Amino acid sequence: MTTTTPARRSTTQPASPIRLSAAGILRSEWIKLRTLRSTVWAYAVILVIQIAFGLLIVAISVNDGGISRGPERGITLASLATFGPIAGVAFGQLVVSVLGVLVISGEYTTGQIRSSFAAVPKRLPVLWAKVAVFGVVTFVVSLVSILLTYLVTAPILSGAGVTSNLFEGNLLLTFVGAAGYLALIGILSMAIGAILRSTAGGIAGALGLLLVVPVVFSLIPADWAHSLSDWLPSAAGSNIYQPGIFEWWQGLLILLGWIVVALATAATLMRRRDA
Amino acid sequence: MIEAHSLTKRYGPKTAVDQVSFTVRPGLVTGFLGPNGAGKSTTMRMIVGLDRPTSGSVTVNGKVYSDHAAPLHEVGVLLDAKAVHQGRSAYSHLLALGATHGIGASRVKEVIEMTGLDSVAKKRVGGFSLGMGQRLGIAAAMLGDPSTLILDEPVNGLDPEGVVWVRELVRFLASEGRTVLLSSHLMSEMAQTADRIIVLGRGRVIADAPVADLISGATVSSVRAVSPQAGELARLLNSPDATITSVDAQTLEIVGLTSAVVGEAAARAGLTLHELTPLKGSLEDAYMNLTADSVEYRTTAASAGAASGGNAGAPLATDPSHSEVSR
Repeated sequence: MTTTTPARRSTTQPASPIRLSAAGILRSEWIKLRTLRSTVWAYAVILVIQIAFGLLIVAISVNDGGISRGPERGITLASLATFGPIAGVAFGQLVVSVLGVLVISGEYTTGQIRSSFAAVPKRLPVLWAKVAVFGVVTFVVSLVSILLTYLVTAPILSGAGVTSNLFEGNLLLTFVGAAGYLALIGILSMAIGAILRSTAGGIAGALGLLLVVPVVFSLIPADWAHSLSDWLPSAAGSNIYQPGIFEWWQGLLILLGWIVVALATAATLMRRRDA
Repeated sequence: MIEAHSLTKRYGPKTAVDQVSFTVRPGLVTGFLGPNGAGKSTTMRMIVGLDRPTSGSVTVNGKVYSDHAAPLHEVGVLLDAKAVHQGRSAYSHLLALGATHGIGASRVKEVIEMTGLDSVAKKRVGGFSLGMGQRLGIAAAMLGDPSTLILDEPVNGLDPEGVVWVRELVRFLASEGRTVLLSSHLMSEMAQTADRIIVLGRGRVIADAPVADLISGATVSSVRAVSPQAGELARLLNSPDATITSVDAQTLEIVGLTSAVVGEAAARAGLTLHELTPLKGSLEDAYMNLTADSVEYRTTAASAGAASGGNAGAPLATDPSHSEVSR
């Protein structure tokens, strides 16, 4: 080792100006999320779906004179102030789910993951940062979509004599719960994408869990099947923002349980597997 | 400085890298040579922790890569040009990569300029040619101003100008005291770029030596003499030390004697010489000789070629255009 290292090289000095940090990894994931057209489009679609479904349901109900037919169907015009803005959640969750898978599977299918892991060789911080950034952004976009839907449907409802106040009762809490549900379904899908590492497989797995598995359970003519299906992510999770078998916090805990198991599996595999 | 100790990687029953130990020193360009499947890329991936060694260890500047506080400042790596999301622009890719280490937009612009990507920096990577992808990969490797560079096939897909640029870049980086490890299939390129060569074959280190030593050790130097009195010259030179082969009626190839000895012998006997050329083996010859037994994916044509240059005792038909031992 006769080679001398030029003074300007700072490898021997501990106080290197650049270093890996949690804040840096979060910023990196934020840049990755906003610099892909597919992400931007998916969020735009979520926004449009929420508003379109809200407007559709509210407009149809008002024109139908839902007041008279409402009670026997369990939906009154008054309740539309709550259910109109979150009517699109059932469809929005499909977009969120696909996007959640893509955020991670896109890295594996393009080889980007090798760049990501070369920069963050401990690997797991990449997963946690993705969960945090994608979760927060999805929550914010979902909540904004729902609130915008509330704003555009409120005038139609007040024309039909129904007025509501966002800050009265559980209205705002319901909206926050629905947005939270969407974000959590996105995170669950991301974990499935991280386990399967393929876009096609990840989307099939995530949408299968949301759409196909509940149907399969409902086809089994046994009580246990029905009881079990209540514990599926979509069924239990929907109790967060609408009344059902479980209290909202129970539904939240069940969905979080699914996420913990899926993320733990994803994290274990991510550490072990070669990139 | 990269130090590998008994590095081993198995995929099921197949051993890709087998007990490999080597040291890559700072201030030098070290070349990784080996046939396809010899374990070059796997070894490079293990250095930066993308593949987990089955056993053994490898450190960079004394630490396992993932234990460094600023990995991108320790090692810049170009593993393959397509380790980039196709939907993102080159600029955004580098910005996101640098963000993990707090590297800002000004450094990103610097490496974009350095690699000549200015005009396409805002375009999506999906539309990049192989050469532009390589430049982006090199830009990413340079992003953290690393003390060690690992470049897997950096000139793959580059135009001649790009090849020269990479050669000058890695020579410059090594001259700054950085550690440079690169692999290439272009043997003549490697001979011009590398100071030291590590040859891998079937997952093992076959040779690890300075380029000149490698060539002189694994090839046979010979002398070509062209004379209208070739037969007479051959008789004259006949000795136990010399192996003389008659290439055609006027041409001899002599192994074991220097051109000076041949020339003086011809002058003393008054023989006419039209040509007297010392032939040195090329890195390619050395490589072929070293890896003749360890080529995993052999084509029939290649096996015939390897056999003809493969036996160190046989006369070498060395093309002087390959004899570029410039350093």
